[in-house]
Amino acid sequence: MSGTSGRARSSNGPTFDLFDNTPELIPLRTAARSEDWNAVRAFFSGLDSVDKVSSAVAVLAGIDGTEFLLERAVADHPGDPLPRAALAERYVRIGWAIRSSARAQYVSADQFDRFHTWLRKAEQLLIELCAEQPAYAPAWTARLMTARGLQLGQAEARRRYDRLSAHHPHHYRAQVQLLQQVCPKWSGSWEAAHGFARECATASPDGSNSGALVALAHIEHWLELDGPEATAYLRGIPVRDDLRNAAQISVLHPDHRPDWNSVGAHNAFAFAFSIGGHFQDAAPHFAFLGDRASEDPWDYTSDPRTTFLKYRKSALGA
Amino acid sequence: MTTELDLLDGVLSHTTTDGIPTLYAPTSASEITAGLFFRVGRADETLATAGITHLVEHLALHRLGLSDLHYNGATANTYTLFHVTGSEEEVVRYLNSVCAALRDLPMDRLETEKEILRTEAAGRGGGPNHQMPLWRYGAQNYGLTSYNELGTWSLTAGHVRHWAETRFTRDNAVLWITSGQVPEGLDLTLPHGTRLPAPAATSALPVTPAYIHGDDGHVVLTSVVRRSTAATVFADVLGRALFQDLRQEGGYSYSAEADYTPRDAEYATLTAYADSLPQKQDAVVGGFVDTLARLRAGRIEQSELDSVRAKLLKMYDVPDFGAASLPSYALSLLLGHRILSPEQRRAELDAVTVADLREVARQAWADALLQVPGRGVDWAGLTLAPQYSQEAVTGTRHPSLEDDKVTLVIGAEGVSLLTPRGPVTVRYDAMSAMTVRPDGARALTGHDGFSVTVEPTLYKGVTPERIAALDAAVPPTAAVPMPAREPDRIPQPRKRAAAPAASGRSTWLWTLGLWAVGLLAAVWGLLCAVITADEASAANPEWDAVVGVWIMWLPLAAVTAALYRARRRRRG
Repeated sequence: MSGTSGRARSSNGPTFDLFDNTPELIPLRTAARSEDWNAVRAFFSGLDSVDKVSSAVAVLAGIDGTEFLLERAVADHPGDPLPRAALAERYVRIGWAIRSSARAQYVSADQFDRFHTWLRKAEQLLIELCAEQPAYAPAWTARLMTARGLQLGQAEARRRYDRLSAHHPHHYRAQVQLLQQVCPKWSGSWEAAHGFARECATASPDGSNSGALVALAHIEHWLELDGPEATAYLRGIPVRDDLRNAAQISVLHPDHRPDWNSVGAHNAFAFAFSIGGHFQDAAPHFAFLGDRASEDPWDYTSDPRTTFLKYRKSALGA
Repeated sequence: MTTELDLLDGVLSHTTTDGIPTLYAPTSASEITAGLFFRVGRADETLATAGITHLVEHLALHRLGLSDLHYNGATANTYTLFHVTGSEEEVVRYLNSVCAALRDLPMDRLETEKEILRTEAAGRGGGPNHQMPLWRYGAQNYGLTSYNELGTWSLTAGHVRHWAETRFTRDNAVLWITSGQVPEGLDLTLPHGTRLPAPAATSALPVTPAYIHGDDGHVVLTSVVRRSTAATVFADVLGRALFQDLRQEGGYSYSAEADYTPRDAEYATLTAYADSLPQKQDAVVGGFVDTLARLRAGRIEQSELDSVRAKLLKMYDVPDFGAASLPSYALSLLLGHRILSPEQRRAELDAVTVADLREVARQAWADALLQVPGRGVDWAGLTLAPQYSQEAVTGTRHPSLEDDKVTLVIGAEGVSLLTPRGPVTVRYDAMSAMTVRPDGARALTGHDGFSVTVEPTLYKGVTPERIAALDAAVPPTAAVPMPAREPDRIPQPRKRAAAPAASGRSTWLWTLGLWAVGLLAAVWGLLCAVITADEASAANPEWDAVVGVWIMWLPLAAVTAALYRARRRRRG
């Protein structure tokens, strides 16, 4: 929250690195890199919310090579859900890296085969884990990814989300995953995407991050449109008002307590308002963020770094 | 046997009637019910004789004709049951009549009853799980219920009489009567024979758990487990778990249930079923997989087990328990399943633990065959049941007249259909049946359930000589003569698969398009030529304009060429 320091901004520019943005996660990376399972486990034991556990599982799964540490931990601690959930998510990441984020028509049959093999491996770990520990949020969140990648269908993805939300009704990471599923690119529809985002925003308590789903849905919609139509979409008053309302009940609400997901949530609003030219609306989000940019959604632009700086300047006038 | 039945003293009595083991126990009802079981059923037949037991059952009941008496017969996989409810005199008359008919079947009725069975079958439409037996067992023994009763076309009086004489014997029967004593006047004289054990099961599934694709709206699982008290409890627990997870919690299904049916002396078939709306079926499959995983993980509430146990224990408290339990004891005696006294059964029920149920859940999953709508379930660790044969035979090759990529092979060892995705082979030494049409068509089905249809009109060079060679190679017991088909029922080759859209109508449309665009291209081309010539002869030729008009001609020429090619492709 040192984002108002203009000097720091201009000297370092935005940091897209997760660990720069959330230094509390650095000990986790250190433990994982030194293949010290006890230290990894200790890090998780110190976390005070399900959202943090779930985010930390994603972080752990995102560290290259952790599958070896995790496979050993699964063997050594068969009753512990953490290593299995993290290993499954690691397999999903490995698979997705093979698939790449390209649209399906640009992915080869061999890439799809290998992608699906990794996802099936993950899914089978997760079936057992969810059967044993149905309230374990990281496992259900990873199962939303396997459901999407293996194309198990809209109804199945929604069932998984519902099973999770029966225990954790406003789990931000899972909401972000299901939003992808209900977008047209994964055989959903805009009606479903905006509907789900609205559902997340209105059902969650004031001040939670879930309102950002509204911004993420509009960003996805914008991405699908071409040229002037795209710009006009985010410039439009109905979308702006929708974004304003969502921001006010979520990250701009007085009850909002920033957590590890808040950086992503603010980035979504900052991005959506900025692309639409609503710099005044983007200002409080950039003010919160300072240099803390997130790859999603800025990676949707050709030059995330410059775009972030340009819009932040327009918003904060600095 | 007798010592086993002694366990049931105080529950029921036992004796023999004309050499047939007989169980009886009194009832407080005004009428009595009796059942005569024979240890023969569909699983004892072959595909070529399928329906022979059912025919015997129908013929045995024919003489009873129309009466007000409440009676019937039933042919199951491993037994045939004749049962009746009425006064003592009526019951005696029924049983005597059935046995008299079995001694001397009314063969003058044979053709009529065969036709009745064929009509019955046509009206019977398979349930959502009717395919499961054939995928699990192939086209033999317990798999035969997936098939039509082919024998209703070809069986002769000699076949049927032999079947009755060897299977419907006093030594292969058990009688039960809900009465304090065996009624006077029974004459159940039947030929001597032997008690036949239930047939051994074959397997058509190299790997389990396996899955197959089925119709929209239904998810079905079958599994074969060892018969046990824990497994009967498990079936109820599974049914309740599916109902809770798929209907009450998710609202994905309307029906969700499970069933436990003894298959033979040692094994039982567990069946679980859930229906779904088409837009919810992904979730039904996912929920089904998760419910089974939950039971395998042992996440079963003690209260669930307790309420299922209480429900099952209640069955021992019904009035006339002895009479009510007669059919089940008679069937155990018939199949050679262990006989337990009610006290022993109750003690076993009391002893079932959650850990026992988890063990059954694991066995059930390990042997499961799951039928799903839509996409496959390899993601859940199941293997697709074999869709193609391991190998093809060699022999004369007959290309399909419909599809360039398909070839029929008629060889010395069997027939194969070679398709781009793999061969389908039926070997003569592992054949269940071959239907034989006068027009030369042959449909061969192997023990493994794979089938190949040889239609001389659909493959090149399937001459009467090749059909004769086929007929000579197939074991005579597998051949099922069928009546001639109406000429319009004999298939004719459709147009080549390579040109699926080929039809007169679409070709003339393409021709019309070609003419329209082609004419425009020709006229414009001519105009271009005139302009070019005109400009070339001018003092200051405007070459920009000339190039411009030619560029405008290019797309017209390109579309003309494309239409020409497309039309030619369609004409094949």
